[in-house]
Order: sequence, then C-alpha cells, then structure tokens
Amino acid sequence: MSHIDQFESVFRSAIKSVYTYQEISYRKALLITDLAGEDSRNLLSSITRYLAVLGSNVEWLLLTADDYYSTQELLESVDKAQPELICTYRNLHSETWKHPHSLGSHLDVLIQKTTAPVLIMPHPKADYADPHAFEDTNAIMAMTDHLTEDHLLVNTALRFCTEQSRLYLAHLEDSVIFDRYMEAIGKIPAIDTDSARREIADKLLEQPTAYIESCSTQLALLKPSVQIHPIIEFGKHLQHYQDAIANLKIDLLVMHGKHDEQLAMHGLTYPLAIEIRQVPLLMM
Amino acid sequence: MTIDPLAHPVSQSTTLLFAAVLVAMIVSLALEEKLHAKKSLIVGIFAVISLLLATAMHLLPFGDITLPNGHPISIPVYIPGVDWGVIAIILGSSVFVDVTSRSGLFTWIAVKLTKASRGDPLKLLWYYGLMTVLFSAVLNNVTAMIIVGSLTGVSLKKLNRSDKLLGFLFLEGLLTNIGGMLTLISSVPNIIVGNAAGISFLRFFLAASPYVLVTTIATIFLGARLFRIQKLSTAEEKEEAAFLIKSFDENDGIEGRAFFWFGAFMLVAFILTIATTSVLPVAKELGMGFVAIGFAVIMLIRYKSEVEQFYKAVDWDLIIFFVALFVVINVMEHAMVLELIGKGITFIIGEGENLFGTAALLISSAAFSSVTDNIPLAAMLAKILVAQGTAGDSALWWSVVFGANLGGNLTPIGSASTLVAITIIHKYKLPMSFAAFVKLAVPYAALQIVFAVAYVLLFLA
Repeated sequence: MSHIDQFESVFRSAIKSVYTYQEISYRKALLITDLAGEDSRNLLSSITRYLAVLGSNVEWLLLTADDYYSTQELLESVDKAQPELICTYRNLHSETWKHPHSLGSHLDVLIQKTTAPVLIMPHPKADYADPHAFEDTNAIMAMTDHLTEDHLLVNTALRFCTEQSRLYLAHLEDSVIFDRYMEAIGKIPAIDTDSARREIADKLLEQPTAYIESCSTQLALLKPSVQIHPIIEFGKHLQHYQDAIANLKIDLLVMHGKHDEQLAMHGLTYPLAIEIRQVPLLMM
Repeated sequence: MTIDPLAHPVSQSTTLLFAAVLVAMIVSLALEEKLHAKKSLIVGIFAVISLLLATAMHLLPFGDITLPNGHPISIPVYIPGVDWGVIAIILGSSVFVDVTSRSGLFTWIAVKLTKASRGDPLKLLWYYGLMTVLFSAVLNNVTAMIIVGSLTGVSLKKLNRSDKLLGFLFLEGLLTNIGGMLTLISSVPNIIVGNAAGISFLRFFLAASPYVLVTTIATIFLGARLFRIQKLSTAEEKEEAAFLIKSFDENDGIEGRAFFWFGAFMLVAFILTIATTSVLPVAKELGMGFVAIGFAVIMLIRYKSEVEQFYKAVDWDLIIFFVALFVVINVMEHAMVLELIGKGITFIIGEGENLFGTAALLISSAAFSSVTDNIPLAAMLAKILVAQGTAGDSALWWSVVFGANLGGNLTPIGSASTLVAITIIHKYKLPMSFAAFVKLAVPYAALQIVFAVAYVLLFLA
C-alpha cells in the first residue's frame, strides 16, 4: 500500500503553516540587578531608553542587590512583582561573569521558573557588548530550530521592532545531524542516497520557507515599516548564529528558553546563551 | 482465432477434479490475508497446476493457431486464453492515471474541494463522497480510495476531527464500489462484462448513472446520520475550521502550470475517447485497450528519460493475477467446469431471461463476490453467459455488473477498494474487525442491493 503513503505525503505537504498576528503588550516590566543605589537607577534608565519601543505605559519595577541574595529570595520577589517582562543579566551576585561559561545559578533557575520572557543583557561591568547592541532594537533576529507556526516567537520579536527595523526570521537546520542521518541512509541499499539527500533537504526547508512567506505577506499589510528577512539554511548552529549576529549587526536575539518536556533549557538555547554575550537575548 | 473446447472428450470425474481446483483457488483467494500471499502468486500457482493437469490429461488443444488472414502462427497454449484487451485497458489506464496524477490535477481537485467545505464536517462528507464516486468512475475504485482516503486522514487530523475518520473512511469505501459502477472502465468486472457483452461506454454510463446517483445520495445521507456527522453550529467553530482549512495549498503538488493544464486536457480527452471508442473510426478497430495505452504513451513523453519509474509503479500483482486468472478460466473451460457451473446457474435462475432469474443472479453474484474476489466471478460468469448465447442487451449482464460490484460492500474482503479503506482505517489505529465491518455494512449493502434489484428489473430488464 505504498500508494497510500505516497498520496498522504502529497496532502501533508499541501498543508502550509499560516502565520497569525497577535498584538503583544507589556504593562509591567522588572529589572533585576545586583547593582545598588545610583548604579541600579542608571541601569534602569539605559534599559528604558533601549526598550523605548515598548512605550511609555510600561510600569518599570526595580529589584536591586539589597532586595535579594539567594535564588529563592529572587524567585519570591519576582513572584510578588508579577512582571510581564524581566530584564536582567548573567551571573547575578557573582564574579563568574568574567568567565564565559555560565549564566549563573539565579538566571538558570529564573528562566525555567517564571512565565514571563527574560531579557538577558550584556553584563554591565563587562566590556564585551557590541557598540550597537544597547542603543535601539532596529535589527532583531528570532531564531529556532523549527520555525513553523511559532506565532508567539514571531509576534514577540515583532513587539520589540522599532519603526523601519529589520526582523530576521531564522531557521537553521543542523548540518552535522543531517550529515549523520545521510550517512546512515547511504548504507541502506534500498534508498537512493543522492535523491534522499536532495529531497529530505528540500522538505526540511520547505515548511519554514512557507511559514516565513506567510509572515512576510501578512506583515507587509499589518506592519509595513518592518522588513522581514528569512534565514533558512543548513549550518553549524553556534558558528552560524555568531556570524549572522556580527554581520547583520543584530540588536536583539529572540528565542525559546523553556521546553515543555524537560526541566533544562530549550534545545539550542543554553549553548547560545552562554556563547552569545555581546547582544541582548530574549528568552521566552 | 478460435479454440474448440471440445477438442478432447472430458469425463465427469475430470470435470469434478478441475472444479475442485477452481474451488481451492477461490478459497485461497478468500484467505489471501491469512495466507500472507499476493493474489498473483496464489492464482499463478493454480494456473501452473491447472496447465500441468490439463496437459497430462490431454485436455488442451496444442498446435498452430490460424489468424483471420489465414496465416498459421505458433503460440503457447496458455496465451490465447488471456483477454489481452482487458489487460491493455488496465495497464494503459493505470500508467495514464499515474502520470496524470504527477501533474497535480487530482490533488488540486481534492484540496480545492476540501477548502470549499470551509472545514464543515457534513459538507466535507458530501464533497468527499461525491469525489470518491467521481474518481472511482473516471480512474478506478482502488486509486479513488487511495486518493480520497489519504486526503481524509490528513484533512480530518488537521481539522481536529479525527473522531469522525472511521465514518468517513468506511463510507468512502462503500462509495468506491458504487462509483465503480458508473462507467465501463470504472472497475474490472465492468470491463470484463462490458467486453463480453459488447456494451459500449456510453450505453453503460446511461444505464448505470441514475442508479449510481440515487444510491450515492442515499448512502451519504444514511452515513451522515448513523455516524453523526453534522454541520458546524457556532460561529466560533466555523471560524476556527475556516482558519485551519486555509492552510491547505492546492497548488503545492503542481510541478508546472503547463503540465497541469495538459494533464487536465488529456484526462478530458481520455474520457471522451474511451466513451466514443465504439463509434470512432480506426479506434473502434483497435479497441479501448489501445486507446488507454496510447494515452499512457503520450503522457509518458513528459517523463521520457525516467519512464522506468512509472513501469515500476504499475500494479504487477494485479496484472499477473489477471493473466493467471484467464489461464485458469481457459483451462476450466476446456475441462467443462464452466459448463457445469452454467448448468448450476441455469438451475437457480431458470432457462432464458426471467425476472426471478435476473434478481437471483444479482443477489447470488453479490453474495459470492462479498467473500472472494469479484474479478474471477465476473470473468467466469461472462464466459458462461457468452457460452449460453446471452444477448448483449440482456438484463443478466447487468445482474452480474451490479452484483459483482455491490458484493464488495458486504465484507471488507469483498473488493480491493474496501480492502484499501480497511488498510487506511488500521493505519490510523482505528478499531475495525471483519465482524464489525459486516455489522456496519449490512444496512448499506442491503439497501443498495434491494435498490439494484428493483432498478434492474424495472429499467434494464
């Protein structure tokens, strides 16, 4: 009954992901810092400037070094504040920001425990931030390993876009994993390796292409000032994103932080969050 | 070329021996699933056994065959018994349909209809039901079930209506056998009987279409009630369904616009040519098999460097099954088994054409084809009716056509298309045993068979 599967494939392929726009608003935002006094207020001021796109109706709350020390205290304070957006940076109450190997225990737990998106900024004491990264949000990249019907990711990234900004919608297929599967397929005599490579590669990129086209079509009407740029290709994740962020002068990288089926962070998020320190990251 | 079936005297015990071989073959075909063997192999084995026995018992007329122009030619004894016209129609049609489907035409129609329903389950059932009948009529019932069944599985899942999948697939399975009666090329029994009785495509269509129309409507109407397939009631439900259905892209399977329109043109031309073959000069000499193969060859030009993929896609199990089946039936003819069965049928239905006999033949054909393949039944009965000198306009031919097709709706093994429906049902892990199918199918099949008897007696007798 291979014909059944053949036609099912044809019909499954005919289903395209259609983008749905939904307005996202943030009424209450919380800045968590391990600075105190004037330094924390200065930081808040620069953050509100950077996120001016969110509008003047946002109520900004500030959690300074004196308001918490342990992770538990931080979680309790966040729970009390009930923010819709959290802004912070890595390695709170720690000097380990000098070593590029972790986010710090506070942030590791916070990202998983809170329902609000967490904006991770370059550490205020470090000098590794890109010069353009903290000025505005006119170049944003939303990335995932499966950009299909991910309306929340696109709408969230869109919310941070200023007038005349560029929104990069990135779907990167891991070429290392793909090559490994192709190597296995190459050892199965019943499968034509060359056509399998070609057709599987095409199909992997077809769905995100259709979805991003749907985003472009609808946003051309709804948000004509935002230019949508697709990035749909094979590559080695980390290096590819590093290069794209540098070459495109990205101001904000938006991605999923949580995973429904695990306690740890979403697939590629953790390694990216560790390595990409030069621009703000929004973890959903 | 003719073969004298009485080339050698045949004893009654010999006839009974071959009748036992025939019964064993039919039982094996009925147990095809249990034996885990393809029908081509099952019938192939019986063809080999029959030929060996018949040759050993001197039943077969070996020697040269004389062509109409007087030239004698030497052909293996098992070749002339095969109805190559039927084989050509099946082979040509299947290649033609396969290549045409690459144009994206059938998926375009299927997806367009899906979108036209705006995701309403009841509308979807009507559209899919009518599409099943139409595709069964134009293509063949197995291909129709594969296309519509596959689409049903995918679209109901997308619409979050998987709970209705069983009802949809079951009804589509039944409708393939109804659609399979619409034209002369819609099912193999039609081709065999039509060829034997000399019924033209147009005559077949005109005789069968009123019945197909009424029965299709009755089946869908009854199915919608029994499976509680209702239309969407709230505006919210309608809006959600309309949004979900929007994601279907009917143009996805279209490789190129030019080939798409060429495929559409060729399909219409194919149907028209097949429909008028009996009156078209030249084509009427060459027959429908030639027309089907001719159209397949024209379509293959589009894929001239990769035609082998279409040869691979041909259902060789079906083709070889037919060839072997014709060989077996030919041997049975020489062994006087068909004459014996003919006497049995005459005993049941009476001498000549009468109303009781016509009805009895239809019902017994339906009963027989519900438990085994309807193709051997049609092939055997066609041979017997020809041997008895049945006129081409006799209602007995229609009894065989209606009975052989509708019998497939009584059990899941009654026809290849209901078997495909069951395969898809099981693919989606839906519960459907043999008994459950029969229990569900009996009201529909009874309704269809009663309708058929009344229709044949009132309008075709």
